[in-house]
Amino acid sequence: MTWSDYLPAWPLQISPALWLALTLVVAVLLGEAMVRHLRLPRIVGYIGIGVVLGPGGLGFIPQLPVNEWRLVVDLALGILLFELGSKVNLRWLKANPWLAGTSLLEAITTFAVVFSVLVWVDVPSTAAAIVATIAIATSPAIIVRTVTESRAQGQVTDRLLLMTALNTIYAVIFHKLAVAVMHGQAGTSFVHTIFAPLYLLGGSALLAWLFGITFERIHHHLGQHEETFSFILFGMIAFATIMASTLRLSPILVLLAAGLITRYQRKHTRTFPPHFGSAGAVLVVLMFIANGLAADLRGLRDGFLLVLLLIAVRIMAKLLAVLPLATHSGIGWRQAVSLGIALVPMSSVALLLTMDTAIDFPEFAFGLGMVLMSWIVILELIGPVLVQVALRRAGETPEKKT
Amino acid sequence: MSLMPFAPSRPLSIGVELELQLLGCNDYNLAPSAPEILRRVAKRTHPGEIKPEMTRSMIEINTSVQQEYAGLVTELRALRDVVSEAGCFLNVAVAGGGTHPFQHWSEQKIFDAPRFHYLSELYGYLAKQFTIFGQHVHIGCPGPDEALHLTHMLSRYIPHFIALSASSPFVQGHDTGFASARLNSVFSFPLSGRAPFVLRWNDFEKFFAKMTGTGVVESMKDFYWDIRPKPEFGTIEVRVCDTPLTVEIAASIACYIQAMSRYIMVEQRMAPEEDDYLVYTFNRFQACRFGLEGVFIDPRTHQQRSIREDIMEMLEHISDHARELHAVEAMERIREILIVGNGTSWQRRAYASEHNLADVMQLQAELWMGN
Repeated sequence: MTWSDYLPAWPLQISPALWLALTLVVAVLLGEAMVRHLRLPRIVGYIGIGVVLGPGGLGFIPQLPVNEWRLVVDLALGILLFELGSKVNLRWLKANPWLAGTSLLEAITTFAVVFSVLVWVDVPSTAAAIVATIAIATSPAIIVRTVTESRAQGQVTDRLLLMTALNTIYAVIFHKLAVAVMHGQAGTSFVHTIFAPLYLLGGSALLAWLFGITFERIHHHLGQHEETFSFILFGMIAFATIMASTLRLSPILVLLAAGLITRYQRKHTRTFPPHFGSAGAVLVVLMFIANGLAADLRGLRDGFLLVLLLIAVRIMAKLLAVLPLATHSGIGWRQAVSLGIALVPMSSVALLLTMDTAIDFPEFAFGLGMVLMSWIVILELIGPVLVQVALRRAGETPEKKT
Repeated sequence: MSLMPFAPSRPLSIGVELELQLLGCNDYNLAPSAPEILRRVAKRTHPGEIKPEMTRSMIEINTSVQQEYAGLVTELRALRDVVSEAGCFLNVAVAGGGTHPFQHWSEQKIFDAPRFHYLSELYGYLAKQFTIFGQHVHIGCPGPDEALHLTHMLSRYIPHFIALSASSPFVQGHDTGFASARLNSVFSFPLSGRAPFVLRWNDFEKFFAKMTGTGVVESMKDFYWDIRPKPEFGTIEVRVCDTPLTVEIAASIACYIQAMSRYIMVEQRMAPEEDDYLVYTFNRFQACRFGLEGVFIDPRTHQQRSIREDIMEMLEHISDHARELHAVEAMERIREILIVGNGTSWQRRAYASEHNLADVMQLQAELWMGN
């Protein structure tokens, strides 16, 4: 027997997973510190640690292998999207049509403003349209996580959830259309330009509907045991996410629509634990760390002013677009301002759409894609803070204990 | 501040105040939506009044002065409809019931008005724990002395009103075993309970002057008595009822009190005695704890029977008066409660079939909103 039979080889071969495990612990500790000392949302800590220690920052943690981690991000995002969908009451749109108006106005204004700025700086119009569609989406991940964490409740919170769900749907649909147009310009046949988005939308809707009714059936027969229920839901979310990717549908659309359908169909209320239990919650934290690790601020070097301009106009667009119909829809100015500000965050959905576009169009990845990445990272870091401040300002978070 | 003079009012006129719960449509917890609801209903024409209450998860609807059941129930339905419409528009559910079954008092927010902030300062956490929902019934009195007479004579029947309206078995996520747990929260207030045994209005004025002299009391509003005179309206106000699960039950209970008041004023010519109060808190406790099944001890005969039996007998005594007041339909509803049970029985049945308090609240809101 020699040393090498029972001692590890030197230098140690450390797997990236080990660093990630350690990062998880540090991230959660940092998140707690954020809450206690700075009164900031925990996710700022989770994302921040990724940005600071990851390849884009100090480089202590290597970039995670994309394909393996894509699954974690997809799953966690799937959980958050389903959660968002299941909190949104679509019937409300019927009782209060002003909400639909506000939502459409907000999405159109955001698109128009971002598109105009990009065309103004000489970006080709199809590429500008793709980026503008991505800019429509408010981050469902940040919204759900921050609302859960701050235990917010009230008109602004309800509207924020509803409008986030809707603008995410618009963003995905119009992004796919814009991409189809870009393909068309690249010389793909007209049939594919038309058929591609139709397949994606129809297929995603069908899969979401199957998910929704199956879930209701299972729940109906299973009753209320919370843990069993979380496990099944978890499995179903994983199944639907992987299935959607396999069929080349949109996992974002499938999970969000499944949540909406479940909520629309059910007769009675159902309260799930946040993120459907602690396993879901761990995935969510990992997702935010992974988002931070993927942060790429290189776009700032050449496009600093453009990023700044885009951030500013997008904030103004969201803020100003919710004001005109505010009083008609039943909230005051102060609440409308809070709602507009809370709609600002961008993160995972925007990130995934950007990555998808980059796979199809490599030249996008190194040009406009870099600008978009920096834009997302910045709004990912300040987004949760804005949401928290907005909800607190609207008086919808629990009062400080005296 | 001295006591207001006792305003003239039409004898046996009735008015009802109902405190209502505002709920979020996702988890059916209390939601701080009163400002938006009030802003919305302000744009609609409606009878009566819709007002803020202590915390932002509650509102109060008040009827105007009514003479009989038909007018009262019509007005309550109109108020219910306008509030329900505002609720649908804002994704807020509106429900009756005396307590919210799983809200946390510490999360309630005080409505932004000077009086509520003052009360919150004075009573501390009790103010937020006062997130409970009651029905107040006003009965017009011919004069101040008659008001005091009626106050003390009605006190014997307080258990009736508690048991009929009881709809607050659940508090902070648990079945308390009480039919009306709401009244336990009222007890914690220093000036709750019964009015002092004073039969003449000038004696009452002296009592009030002494109390204001101590600095404890500024107005009649500071007394949280079960029944209190309301001089500015020329009424007495019965304050022990939980908000029932429907406006129809609320109207029927108000008319039961009205018919009983007529019986006391017209037929039952006997003077109240201090000794009537010997069993007052015992009977009141029985009604809160056991509802219609509670034991009732007659203060004069010392006879024991169930509260249900005592109500049954009372319904016989007042049937002519109810007919005079066009309240026969209301008495039918009271009889129905004696058979199928009060709001508490409904809530316990709903919980037994749904196993989930959020679902109970959803059903309760559907029942109240009438859809």
